[in-house]
Amino acid sequence: MIAGLALVIGVVVGLVLRPTVPGWLEPYLPIAVVAALDAVFGGVRARLDGIFDSKVFVVSFVSNVVVAALIVFLGDKLGVGGQLSTAVVVVFGIRIFGNAAAIRRHVFHA
Amino acid sequence: MTSRRSTMTTALLVDLVTNTADPGYAAAAARRGPGAPRRWFDRPAVALGCGLIGLTLAVAYVHTHRAAPTAAKVHAGLVARVKAANAAGDSLDAQAQRLDAEVAKLRAQALPGTSIGAELNRTELLAGATPVTGPGLRVQLADPHKPTRSPGDRPSSTPITASQILTDRDVRSVVNELWHDGAEAIAVNDVRLTPTSAIRFAGQAVLVDFAPITSPYTISAIGDSDVLVTSFADSDVASRYHTLASANGIGFSWNQVSELHLPAMTTSTPRYARPGSTGGSR
Repeated sequence: MIAGLALVIGVVVGLVLRPTVPGWLEPYLPIAVVAALDAVFGGVRARLDGIFDSKVFVVSFVSNVVVAALIVFLGDKLGVGGQLSTAVVVVFGIRIFGNAAAIRRHVFHA
Repeated sequence: MTSRRSTMTTALLVDLVTNTADPGYAAAAARRGPGAPRRWFDRPAVALGCGLIGLTLAVAYVHTHRAAPTAAKVHAGLVARVKAANAAGDSLDAQAQRLDAEVAKLRAQALPGTSIGAELNRTELLAGATPVTGPGLRVQLADPHKPTRSPGDRPSSTPITASQILTDRDVRSVVNELWHDGAEAIAVNDVRLTPTSAIRFAGQAVLVDFAPITSPYTISAIGDSDVLVTSFADSDVASRYHTLASANGIGFSWNQVSELHLPAMTTSTPRYARPGSTGGSR
C-alpha cells in the first residue's frame, strides 16, 4: 500500500520535474532502470514469500545500481563497456523473469 | 580440466536461472526469526526505495522520449530552410523570365520586321531562351514503387538503391537519343534544356541545371513527331528501358503529343565566348 503510493509519487515527481540527465550519467540510465525493475520484482516476491525486509530492499537496490554502474564504468575505461552493460542487463533480466515467474506461481497458483 | 570448468560454468548459469530470489531476504528473515516486530524504519525505508525506483523509471522515460522530438525539430527546421531557399530561387527565376520577356518586347519594338530581329528570335529559340510550342514526343521514366514499409520499421531500413534505380545516366541517355532523333527543344520535368544544360546526380536527386527533380521523369521533346516516335521506338535506348521495365519494375512509356508547351530557361550572358572570325552567323 505505502510502497505503491511511494512508487506513484516518485513517478509523478519525475514527470513533473523532468530533470535533465547529465551526459556522463546517460550510459548508466538503462542499468539503473533494470536494477530498479529487479528491485521491484524481488521485493514483491519476497513479500509474497513472507520474508520481505525493508533494509534488504533499499540496500539491495542502491548497491545493485552502484555496483552495476561501477562495473560498466570500469568496462568503459577498459574498452568493454558496451559488452559489460549487456551482461548486466542480461543478468538482471534473468532475475526479473525468474521473480516474475515466482510471483505468478504465488498469485495464480499455476 | 576442461570438463570440470564447463560443469562449473553450467552450474553457475543454472544457479543464475533457478535462484533468482535475492538471498539477502532469506538471510534477513532467518536472522530475525519468524514474527519479528516491525522496526521504526521499515515504512520510511520502503517508501524511500519505492520513491527512488519510481523516480528512476520516470526519468528514464522522460529522457528517452525527449530526445526524439529534438531530432524531429531539427529535421523540420532543415526542411523549412530548404523549402524557403527553393521558393526564393523560384521567385528570382520568375523575375528573370519576366524581365527577359520585357526585354524581348522592347527589342521587338525597336527592330520591327528586320532580318536581325528574325535572326535573334531564331537564335533565342535554339538557345532555349523563349518558350516554345509544337508537336512532339513525351517520354516518361519512373522509379519502381517503393516497397510498403510497416510503421515499426526504421526509415533507414529500406535500402535506397532498391527503390531508386534511375539515375542521371538514364535521363541523359533518353535525352541524347531524342536529340539524335531530331528533337529541336527538350524539357525534363519542365526544366528546359539549353546548350549549357547539364544533367547530373547529387545525393539522391537528379539535377538538371541545378534544379533537383524527382521520379517520375517526364522528358518532352518538340520536333517532327512522326519521325521522333519511329526513331525513338527503334532505338537501343527504348529497347533497353523496355527490358528494364519488365525486369525491375520501372515505369517507361512514351506517347506522341500534337501540342507540347515547353517553358523558357533564363540563360546566362556569355562573358568570355566571343564570335570567331570564321563561320560567321551561319
